[in-house]
Amino acid sequence: MLVDFNFRIIFEYLPLFLTGLRSTFFISLVSISLALVTGVIACACRISGIKILKYPAIAFIEIIRSTPLLVQIYFLYFGLPTLGLRVPEIQTGIIALMLNSGAYIAEIIRAGITSVDQGQLEAGTASGLNYIQRMRFIILPQALGVTVPPLLGQSIVLVKDSALLSLISVMELTRCGQTMTSERFMPAEAFFTVAFFYMCIYFCLKALADWSQRKLIFREAY
Amino acid sequence: MIEFKNVNKWFGKLHVLNNINLKIPKGEVLVICGPSGSGKSTLIRCINRLEKIQNGEIIVNNTPVHDKLTNLTKLRAEIGFVFQQFHLYPHMTVLQNVMLAPVNVKKIAKAEAKKIAMEKLEQVGLTEKHGVHPAQLSGGQQQRVAIARGLAMSPEIMLFDEPTSALDPEMIGEVLDVMVNLVSEGMTMCVVTHEMGFARKVANRVLFMDEGAIVETGTPNEFFDNPKTDRAATFISMILTH
Ligand SMILES: Nc1ncnc2c1ncn2[C@@H]1O[C@H](COP(=O)(O)OP(=O)(O)O)[C@@H](O)[C@H]1O
Ligand SMILES: [Mg+2]
Repeated sequence: MLVDFNFRIIFEYLPLFLTGLRSTFFISLVSISLALVTGVIACACRISGIKILKYPAIAFIEIIRSTPLLVQIYFLYFGLPTLGLRVPEIQTGIIALMLNSGAYIAEIIRAGITSVDQGQLEAGTASGLNYIQRMRFIILPQALGVTVPPLLGQSIVLVKDSALLSLISVMELTRCGQTMTSERFMPAEAFFTVAFFYMCIYFCLKALADWSQRKLIFREAY
Repeated sequence: MIEFKNVNKWFGKLHVLNNINLKIPKGEVLVICGPSGSGKSTLIRCINRLEKIQNGEIIVNNTPVHDKLTNLTKLRAEIGFVFQQFHLYPHMTVLQNVMLAPVNVKKIAKAEAKKIAMEKLEQVGLTEKHGVHPAQLSGGQQQRVAIARGLAMSPEIMLFDEPTSALDPEMIGEVLDVMVNLVSEGMTMCVVTHEMGFARKVANRVLFMDEGAIVETGTPNEFFDNPKTDRAATFISMILTH
């Protein structure tokens, strides 16, 4: 089978794939950054105990987690124009990824915060520390240790999820594979290359995740 | 120094504090005992408002604790609290644990706070452990750090909620010794404990609680040798045979 594999065509299409890779990289980076902000806000609302913040946050998180990402993408892609909002595909895609990962990140952060023993917070309260000081000195340093590795895991998920944006014709990595397939009809070569680039991103992020895990767990043990 | 006036508290339907009236003068060492679930923890947690009360009044140093206008930070800074489970901050060193509140609540300069913290660690016999993390200490040592952490705020009152119940038997003594030392310095103390030896040695008064109410109070010897109520007698025989 490999005998039939046409490596020449891969090199011919390499410039296209590299723009696709750049696009995927850019979309992922912007989406994950925005998702982080979304997640922090959603989590803060959710644990605030203030009803008008808490219930919308729960609704948002549950709606996102109970529906497929592709449906969310289509919903925004077809839904936003009917609201009179003309948003380019790439922005639509970024918004979808931001909301989707944001909901998962909200839960990751919440798990990190609730993993800190309640008793330590009481000890802080009893010694006169206020809410912000308890967050800053007691919760966050410990929550960070358990939050960073799953956050990097979510970033890996987001990079792979961004492939779905090809379905609303965003010119990212997977879309480049589709383009090459339709122009030359060589799907094996096209998607072999696409997969290869995703794996490269994956292994970079995984190395970062492993490194952070070692670093953070090491710190916790001392 | 501490006064409860007709204090009532409910958790849902559970009447956890039933019309509590209590005066603890300055310098008194009060031991609180009673069966599990009788409301001992809740009683002392109300003193620094870790728990709210539904009616009545608690006054600490002329300050109504449960008044909306009370400066809670200032109130809590004057009251040290030691928990059964220590609740040290595992990501900080022993010294950082002890310095955290003085630096951030009392706004004491770091160098000064460090000096105070080292003095308190010396008082509990753990100066040489100041640089390690709590996980590297035995239970007894952790509880002594927790006491030093409370003392570092120079409180006028120390509250202890079963400080030795989570400890292996061989470590109970070292923690009680530290507490006995505190008594000799004239600290006002409320101690929830079933350590009869400690109570007989240093307590001015023993208070026996059952089902949210104060059933009996008396000097340690009166209480342990001649309890007035059947409930107290049953309880004492239970901790003796235990
Ligand atoms: N936060 C809470 N919510 C509901 N019930 C509680 C809470 N804390 C304690 N209780 C109940 O109140 C009663 C008294 O508890 P506690 O003061 O801890 O007793 P003790 O310290 O004497 O064992 C128990 O029945 C306990 O289950
Ligand atoms: Mg208790």
